[in-house]
Amino acid sequence: MNLGYFLTIFISSVFIYNVILSRFLGLCSFVAISKETRPAMAMSLAVIFVITMSSIITWFIYRLLLVPFGLTYLRTISFILVIATFVQFVEMAIRKISPALYRFFGIYLPLITVNCAVLGVAVLNSDMFFVNGKASPGSFYYSVFQGLCVGLGYALAMLLMSGIRERLEFCNIPKALKDFPLSFIIASVMSLAFMGFNGFKF
Amino acid sequence: MDILIPVLILGGLGFLFGVGLAIASRRLAVKTDPRLEKIHGLLPGSNCGACGGAGCFGFADKLLKGEASVSACRVSEERVKEEIARILGKKLEKDTKLSAILHCGGGKKVKDRFLYDGIEDCISANLALAGEKECVFGCLGYGSCAAICPFGAIHMTGEGLPAVDKARCKACNKCVQACPKKLFSLIPWASNVYIACSSHDTGKDTIKACPVGCIACRKCEQVCPVSAIQIIDNLAVIDYNKCTSCGECVKVCPMKTIRIQA
Repeated sequence: MNLGYFLTIFISSVFIYNVILSRFLGLCSFVAISKETRPAMAMSLAVIFVITMSSIITWFIYRLLLVPFGLTYLRTISFILVIATFVQFVEMAIRKISPALYRFFGIYLPLITVNCAVLGVAVLNSDMFFVNGKASPGSFYYSVFQGLCVGLGYALAMLLMSGIRERLEFCNIPKALKDFPLSFIIASVMSLAFMGFNGFKF
Repeated sequence: MDILIPVLILGGLGFLFGVGLAIASRRLAVKTDPRLEKIHGLLPGSNCGACGGAGCFGFADKLLKGEASVSACRVSEERVKEEIARILGKKLEKDTKLSAILHCGGGKKVKDRFLYDGIEDCISANLALAGEKECVFGCLGYGSCAAICPFGAIHMTGEGLPAVDKARCKACNKCVQACPKKLFSLIPWASNVYIACSSHDTGKDTIKACPVGCIACRKCEQVCPVSAIQIIDNLAVIDYNKCTSCGECVKVCPMKTIRIQA
């Protein structure tokens, strides 16, 4: 395990390969829930939690089931299975344990079930940290950390977007551009800005 | 044979998760009152908040706990309220039906004091020296009320004034709260007579600013057979507890300030 590698993972998954603005994953929730900061942050917290947890679970599934039996070609369907089950379970558990928390981000959990960012991270982890069908040393920690960082990157993009859109509420915008058209334009400009990180070298 | 292992593993995973979720849904089931869903289904679902609850679901919750009465919902029709009261096992207390009305007749008839070039919204316009209209009490005409009305009951007319569609108005009080000039009020649905002015200026000042403002001439006060109208602070005010909508005041009003609702 190399501590410097954690920093690389952090910088690259939050900024250089930001899950929304560079990899273009999880765009639907990015556009749909970024109208106000509060729900956007609730959604981001839920995404951070789910991505981190699903990184842990999918690592075990991949390492203990798929790799030993040579079934790596089944990873997409098995990952989806695992993530969907996990999210459903978490939703039930939260509803039972803490109604207040459920009201805060319970409604976003079903949205995350089918969020491509979650599956994307799981697939990415299995691509990056498994060399020739073998887990590279420290891959578990790297996977979990990468999940967390991708979630943080998602939160960063959501925070920026919701901040901009909240201010736009008070602007005179041509009717044809209101809401979604303008959000698409903003998202593309932000994405261009994030491409500037591409030149970073370590 | 090669197909067997993947089928077993994936099928096994699916079966395991399915059974796990089934057990979990039993174990972690949250008991909700079946009446809650029923009542929530009957409520209008517009989440206007006029009842004081956090949306219709919050109101349904309050109803079940006995913290609110069914009549607090301004939107539901009478028979729906009766149905809800029946589910709750209570009797429905009757309430006077209300509708919103605008107390201003100025609009484009009132001249501007200066050129306002800011955000086209009444609250913003009101922040700039109480708006550009000559009459500081009158409607600014940017339609914040029309924008906030959850039932589409308010629309802006060509005269620069909002008009309330009485059939759609549910008296949710949103326009009353939103208007920075406090020009709306809720009056009994059955009453037609209303004062189309909110100016507390003296008659002399009002007539300078607006051709249809109340000049406090007291003719309506004198003619009203049930003495329901009073001039308070240079403005005619109708007491709807007394008013019979006879229309005598409408006939004598020299400024056409007192009107009959269309």
